[in-house]
Amino acid sequence: MTPYVAVALTSLVAYVFAVKRLGWQPSDLGRALGRMAESLGAGVIFAVVNVLAAASLVLGLRMLTNRFFSLYSLDDLVWLALSMLQGWAWGLWRDSKAAPLR
Amino acid sequence: MPSSTIVRALGLATLALFFLGAFTPLPTLLYEMITVPVHIERADAIVVLAGGGVLASGQLTDTSLRRTVRGIALYRDGMAPLLVLSGGAGRRSEGAARAVLAGKCGVPDTAILATSAGHTTHEEVATLQPLLRARGVRRLILVTDGTHMRRAMGLARDAGFDVLAAPVSEVETPTHPEPRLRLLRAALREGLALVYYHIAGYL
Repeated sequence: MTPYVAVALTSLVAYVFAVKRLGWQPSDLGRALGRMAESLGAGVIFAVVNVLAAASLVLGLRMLTNRFFSLYSLDDLVWLALSMLQGWAWGLWRDSKAAPLR
Repeated sequence: MPSSTIVRALGLATLALFFLGAFTPLPTLLYEMITVPVHIERADAIVVLAGGGVLASGQLTDTSLRRTVRGIALYRDGMAPLLVLSGGAGRRSEGAARAVLAGKCGVPDTAILATSAGHTTHEEVATLQPLLRARGVRRLILVTDGTHMRRAMGLARDAGFDVLAAPVSEVETPTHPEPRLRLLRAALREGLALVYYHIAGYL
Protein backbone atom coordinates (compact mmCIF):
# COMPACT_ATOMS: atom_id res chain seq x y z
CA MET A 1 0.00 0.00 0.00
CA THR A 2 3.08 2.25 0.14
CA PRO A 3 2.44 4.04 -3.20
CA TYR A 4 -1.11 4.87 -2.12
CA VAL A 5 0.05 6.32 1.17
CA ALA A 6 2.51 8.41 -0.88
CA VAL A 7 -0.33 9.66 -3.10
CA ALA A 8 -2.32 10.66 -0.02
CA LEU A 9 0.69 12.46 1.47
CA THR A 10 1.60 14.36 -1.72
CA SER A 11 -2.06 15.37 -2.11
CA LEU A 12 -1.99 16.79 1.41
CA VAL A 13 1.32 18.57 0.81
CA ALA A 14 0.05 19.99 -2.51
CA TYR A 15 -3.12 21.22 -0.80
CA VAL A 16 -1.19 22.98 1.97
CA PHE A 17 1.29 24.47 -0.56
CA ALA A 18 -1.53 25.74 -2.79
CA VAL A 19 -3.42 27.35 0.08
CA LYS A 20 -0.48 28.75 2.09
CA ARG A 21 2.01 29.69 -0.62
CA LEU A 22 -0.04 30.24 -3.75
CA GLY A 23 -3.07 31.72 -2.02
CA TRP A 24 -5.56 29.46 -3.78
CA GLN A 25 -9.04 29.26 -2.24
CA PRO A 26 -9.99 25.92 -0.62
CA SER A 27 -13.57 26.50 -1.78
CA ASP A 28 -12.36 26.39 -5.42
CA LEU A 29 -11.10 22.84 -4.95
CA GLY A 30 -14.62 21.40 -4.87
CA ARG A 31 -15.41 23.19 -8.14
CA ALA A 32 -12.18 21.89 -9.69
CA LEU A 33 -13.02 18.33 -8.65
CA GLY A 34 -16.47 18.78 -10.15
CA ARG A 35 -14.86 19.84 -13.46
CA MET A 36 -12.55 16.83 -13.27
CA ALA A 37 -15.59 14.57 -12.80
CA GLU A 38 -17.21 16.23 -15.82
CA SER A 39 -14.15 15.57 -17.98
CA LEU A 40 -14.14 11.97 -16.78
CA GLY A 41 -17.85 11.62 -17.50
CA ALA A 42 -17.33 13.02 -21.01
CA GLY A 43 -14.49 10.52 -21.44
CA VAL A 44 -16.81 7.68 -20.44
CA ILE A 45 -19.39 8.82 -23.01
CA PHE A 46 -16.67 8.89 -25.67
CA ALA A 47 -15.53 5.44 -24.52
CA VAL A 48 -19.02 3.95 -24.86
CA VAL A 49 -19.53 5.54 -28.29
CA ASN A 50 -16.06 4.42 -29.38
CA VAL A 51 -16.59 0.82 -28.28
CA LEU A 52 -20.00 0.63 -29.96
CA ALA A 53 -18.59 2.10 -33.17
CA ALA A 54 -15.60 -0.25 -33.12
CA ALA A 55 -17.77 -3.30 -32.42
CA SER A 56 -20.10 -2.33 -35.27
CA LEU A 57 -17.08 -1.95 -37.52
CA VAL A 58 -15.72 -5.38 -36.55
CA LEU A 59 -19.07 -7.11 -37.03
CA GLY A 60 -19.69 -5.19 -40.26
CA LEU A 61 -16.30 -6.16 -41.66
CA ARG A 62 -16.99 -9.80 -40.77
CA MET A 63 -20.22 -9.73 -42.73
CA LEU A 64 -18.96 -7.71 -45.67
CA THR A 65 -15.63 -9.42 -46.23
CA ASN A 66 -16.40 -12.95 -44.96
CA ARG A 67 -13.12 -12.76 -43.07
CA PHE A 68 -12.73 -13.05 -39.33
CA PHE A 69 -12.12 -9.88 -37.30
CA SER A 70 -11.94 -10.45 -33.56
CA LEU A 71 -13.98 -8.53 -31.01
CA TYR A 72 -11.06 -9.17 -28.66
CA SER A 73 -9.25 -6.40 -30.56
CA LEU A 74 -11.44 -4.07 -28.46
CA ASP A 75 -9.88 -5.49 -25.30
CA ASP A 76 -7.20 -2.82 -25.20
CA LEU A 77 -6.62 -0.06 -22.66
CA VAL A 78 -5.16 2.41 -25.16
CA TRP A 79 -8.53 3.27 -26.71
CA LEU A 80 -9.83 3.87 -23.18
CA ALA A 81 -7.00 6.33 -22.50
CA LEU A 82 -7.68 8.02 -25.85
CA SER A 83 -11.37 8.28 -24.97
CA MET A 84 -10.46 9.98 -21.71
CA LEU A 85 -8.26 12.44 -23.64
CA GLN A 86 -11.20 13.10 -25.96
CA GLY A 87 -13.35 13.87 -22.92
CA TRP A 88 -10.69 16.11 -21.42
CA ALA A 89 -10.23 18.04 -24.69
CA TRP A 90 -14.02 18.36 -24.99
CA GLY A 91 -14.23 19.87 -21.49
CA LEU A 92 -11.38 22.32 -22.15
CA TRP A 93 -12.94 23.35 -25.43
CA ARG A 94 -16.28 23.98 -23.75
CA ASP A 95 -14.59 25.96 -20.96
CA SER A 96 -12.72 28.08 -23.51
CA LYS A 97 -16.06 29.47 -24.68
CA ALA A 98 -16.59 31.05 -21.23
CA ALA A 99 -12.98 32.11 -20.66
CA PRO A 100 -10.72 31.98 -23.75
CA LEU A 101 -7.63 29.83 -23.25
CA ARG A 102 -4.32 31.69 -22.95
CA MET B 1 -23.28 15.98 -25.13
CA PRO B 2 -25.82 15.48 -22.25
CA SER B 3 -26.22 18.18 -19.60
CA SER B 4 -23.22 18.84 -17.37
CA THR B 5 -25.00 17.46 -14.27
CA ILE B 6 -25.49 14.08 -15.91
CA VAL B 7 -21.94 14.07 -17.27
CA ARG B 8 -20.58 14.98 -13.84
CA ALA B 9 -22.68 12.23 -12.18
CA LEU B 10 -21.34 9.77 -14.74
CA GLY B 11 -17.78 10.86 -13.92
CA LEU B 12 -18.39 10.49 -10.19
CA ALA B 13 -19.92 7.04 -10.73
CA THR B 14 -16.85 6.04 -12.74
CA LEU B 15 -14.57 7.29 -9.98
CA ALA B 16 -16.60 5.36 -7.42
CA LEU B 17 -16.34 2.20 -9.54
CA PHE B 18 -12.59 2.71 -9.85
CA PHE B 19 -12.09 3.06 -6.10
CA LEU B 20 -14.46 0.20 -5.28
CA GLY B 21 -12.70 -1.96 -7.87
CA ALA B 22 -9.20 -1.12 -6.65
CA PHE B 23 -9.68 -1.07 -2.90
CA THR B 24 -12.60 -3.37 -2.05
CA PRO B 25 -13.46 -7.04 -2.78
CA LEU B 26 -16.04 -5.95 -5.41
CA PRO B 27 -14.11 -7.58 -8.32
CA THR B 28 -13.97 -10.89 -6.44
CA LEU B 29 -17.73 -10.73 -5.80
CA LEU B 30 -18.39 -10.02 -9.49
CA TYR B 31 -16.02 -12.84 -10.47
CA GLU B 32 -17.83 -15.26 -8.18
CA MET B 33 -21.14 -14.22 -9.76
CA ILE B 34 -19.86 -14.86 -13.27
CA THR B 35 -17.81 -18.01 -12.78
CA VAL B 36 -18.95 -21.59 -12.17
CA PRO B 37 -17.71 -23.58 -9.16
CA VAL B 38 -15.31 -26.45 -9.76
CA HIS B 39 -17.15 -29.74 -10.25
CA ILE B 40 -14.97 -32.58 -11.44
CA GLU B 41 -15.95 -36.23 -11.77
CA ARG B 42 -14.95 -38.96 -14.19
CA ALA B 43 -16.04 -38.19 -17.73
CA ASP B 44 -15.62 -39.35 -21.33
CA ALA B 45 -13.30 -36.50 -22.31
CA ILE B 46 -11.41 -33.49 -21.03
CA VAL B 47 -11.95 -30.58 -23.42
CA VAL B 48 -9.44 -27.74 -23.19
CA LEU B 49 -10.75 -24.68 -25.02
CA ALA B 50 -8.51 -22.42 -27.10
CA GLY B 51 -6.81 -19.63 -25.22
CA GLY B 52 -5.06 -16.98 -27.25
CA GLY B 53 -3.17 -19.18 -29.68
CA VAL B 54 0.53 -19.43 -30.28
CA LEU B 55 3.16 -16.69 -30.15
CA ALA B 56 5.42 -15.94 -33.12
CA SER B 57 8.13 -17.90 -31.31
CA GLY B 58 5.92 -20.99 -31.42
CA GLN B 59 5.25 -20.95 -27.68
CA LEU B 60 1.76 -21.10 -26.26
CA THR B 61 0.38 -17.90 -24.73
CA ASP B 62 0.16 -17.80 -20.93
CA THR B 63 -3.59 -18.36 -21.02
CA SER B 64 -3.28 -21.29 -23.41
CA LEU B 65 -0.46 -22.83 -21.38
CA ARG B 66 -2.39 -22.52 -18.12
CA ARG B 67 -5.43 -24.26 -19.58
CA THR B 68 -3.35 -26.96 -21.27
CA VAL B 69 -1.47 -27.81 -18.07
CA ARG B 70 -4.77 -28.11 -16.21
CA GLY B 71 -6.08 -30.47 -18.89
CA ILE B 72 -2.94 -32.59 -18.78
CA ALA B 73 -3.10 -32.78 -14.98
CA LEU B 74 -6.74 -33.93 -15.14
CA TYR B 75 -5.82 -36.58 -17.71
CA ARG B 76 -2.95 -37.83 -15.60
CA ASP B 77 -5.30 -37.99 -12.61
CA GLY B 78 -7.36 -40.46 -14.67
CA MET B 79 -10.43 -38.24 -14.96
CA ALA B 80 -11.08 -39.18 -18.61
CA PRO B 81 -9.54 -41.37 -21.33
CA LEU B 82 -9.51 -38.62 -23.99
CA LEU B 83 -7.79 -35.22 -23.91
CA VAL B 84 -9.20 -32.80 -26.47
CA LEU B 85 -6.87 -29.87 -27.17
CA SER B 86 -8.69 -27.25 -29.12
CA GLY B 87 -7.01 -24.33 -30.83
CA GLY B 88 -8.02 -21.22 -32.64
CA ALA B 89 -7.79 -21.19 -36.40
CA GLY B 90 -4.68 -19.49 -37.69
CA ARG B 91 -1.35 -19.97 -39.39
CA ARG B 92 0.20 -21.63 -36.36
CA SER B 93 -1.83 -24.40 -34.79
CA GLU B 94 -2.46 -23.96 -31.10
CA GLY B 95 -3.98 -27.44 -30.91
CA ALA B 96 -0.85 -29.02 -32.40
CA ALA B 97 1.47 -27.07 -30.06
CA ARG B 98 -0.64 -28.19 -27.12
CA ALA B 99 -0.51 -31.80 -28.31
CA VAL B 100 3.31 -31.66 -28.41
CA LEU B 101 3.35 -30.41 -24.82
CA ALA B 102 0.88 -33.07 -23.70
CA GLY B 103 3.00 -35.75 -25.37
CA LYS B 104 6.10 -34.52 -23.55
CA CYS B 105 4.13 -34.70 -20.31
CA GLY B 106 3.38 -38.37 -20.86
CA VAL B 107 -0.06 -38.31 -22.48
CA PRO B 108 -0.11 -41.01 -25.22
CA ASP B 109 -0.84 -39.85 -28.79
CA THR B 110 -3.85 -42.17 -28.95
CA ALA B 111 -5.46 -40.27 -26.06
CA ILE B 112 -5.03 -36.83 -27.66
CA LEU B 113 -7.41 -35.17 -30.07
CA ALA B 114 -5.94 -31.87 -31.32
CA THR B 115 -8.14 -29.60 -33.41
CA SER B 116 -8.35 -26.16 -34.94
CA ALA B 117 -11.87 -25.28 -34.04
CA GLY B 118 -12.82 -21.81 -35.24
CA HIS B 119 -12.31 -18.25 -34.12
CA THR B 120 -14.91 -17.81 -31.41
CA THR B 121 -16.22 -19.92 -28.53
CA HIS B 122 -19.45 -20.41 -30.46
CA GLU B 123 -17.61 -21.68 -33.54
CA GLU B 124 -15.31 -23.78 -31.38
CA VAL B 125 -18.13 -25.67 -29.67
CA ALA B 126 -19.98 -26.08 -32.99
CA THR B 127 -16.84 -27.59 -34.56
CA LEU B 128 -16.09 -29.84 -31.59
CA GLN B 129 -19.62 -31.25 -31.30
CA PRO B 130 -19.52 -33.75 -34.21
CA LEU B 131 -15.92 -34.73 -33.44
CA LEU B 132 -16.83 -35.58 -29.86
CA ARG B 133 -20.10 -37.26 -30.80
CA ALA B 134 -18.19 -39.48 -33.27
CA ARG B 135 -16.06 -40.68 -30.34
CA GLY B 136 -19.08 -41.38 -28.18
CA VAL B 137 -18.45 -38.52 -25.79
CA ARG B 138 -21.51 -37.58 -23.75
CA ARG B 139 -20.00 -36.28 -20.56
CA LEU B 140 -17.04 -33.93 -20.62
CA ILE B 141 -14.86 -31.91 -18.30
CA LEU B 142 -14.52 -28.40 -19.70
CA VAL B 143 -11.29 -26.52 -19.06
CA THR B 144 -11.22 -22.76 -19.59
CA ASP B 145 -10.72 -19.57 -17.61
CA GLY B 146 -13.07 -18.96 -14.70
CA THR B 147 -14.59 -15.87 -16.28
CA HIS B 148 -15.17 -17.70 -19.59
CA MET B 149 -16.68 -20.85 -18.05
CA ARG B 150 -20.35 -19.82 -17.79
CA ARG B 151 -20.57 -18.88 -21.48
CA ALA B 152 -18.60 -21.90 -22.68
CA MET B 153 -20.59 -24.27 -20.47
CA GLY B 154 -23.88 -22.88 -21.76
CA LEU B 155 -22.80 -23.52 -25.34
CA ALA B 156 -21.57 -27.05 -24.57
CA ARG B 157 -24.80 -27.91 -22.74
CA ASP B 158 -26.86 -26.55 -25.64
CA ALA B 159 -24.78 -28.82 -27.89
CA GLY B 160 -26.12 -31.76 -25.89
CA PHE B 161 -23.26 -32.60 -23.55
CA ASP B 162 -23.27 -33.24 -19.84
CA VAL B 163 -20.68 -30.68 -18.75
CA LEU B 164 -18.46 -30.58 -15.68
CA ALA B 165 -16.49 -27.42 -14.89
CA ALA B 166 -12.75 -27.24 -14.34
CA PRO B 167 -12.16 -23.49 -14.34
CA VAL B 168 -8.65 -22.09 -14.43
CA SER B 169 -8.05 -18.83 -12.62
CA GLU B 170 -5.41 -16.25 -13.46
CA VAL B 171 -5.60 -14.75 -9.98
CA GLU B 172 -7.10 -16.21 -6.83
CA THR B 173 -8.81 -13.60 -4.66
CA PRO B 174 -6.54 -10.63 -5.46
CA THR B 175 -5.45 -8.52 -2.53
CA HIS B 176 -3.75 -5.65 -4.38
CA PRO B 177 -5.37 -2.86 -6.41
CA GLU B 178 -3.90 -3.69 -9.83
CA PRO B 179 -4.85 -7.41 -9.88
CA ARG B 180 -8.27 -6.42 -8.52
CA LEU B 181 -8.77 -3.99 -11.41
CA ARG B 182 -7.61 -6.67 -13.88
CA LEU B 183 -10.19 -9.06 -12.46
CA LEU B 184 -12.87 -6.34 -12.60
CA ARG B 185 -11.99 -5.70 -16.24
CA ALA B 186 -12.16 -9.42 -17.07
CA ALA B 187 -15.52 -9.78 -15.30
CA LEU B 188 -16.99 -6.73 -17.07
CA ARG B 189 -15.65 -7.90 -20.45
CA GLU B 190 -17.17 -11.34 -19.96
CA GLY B 191 -20.44 -9.75 -18.82
CA LEU B 192 -20.56 -7.90 -22.16
CA ALA B 193 -19.71 -11.12 -24.02
CA LEU B 194 -22.58 -12.92 -22.26
CA VAL B 195 -24.97 -10.13 -23.26
CA TYR B 196 -23.70 -10.32 -26.86
CA TYR B 197 -24.13 -14.12 -26.97
CA HIS B 198 -27.70 -13.81 -25.68
CA ILE B 199 -28.54 -11.08 -28.21
CA ALA B 200 -26.96 -13.11 -31.02
CA GLY B 201 -29.04 -16.13 -29.95
CA TYR B 202 -26.04 -18.34 -29.21
CA LEU B 203 -27.20 -18.95 -25.63
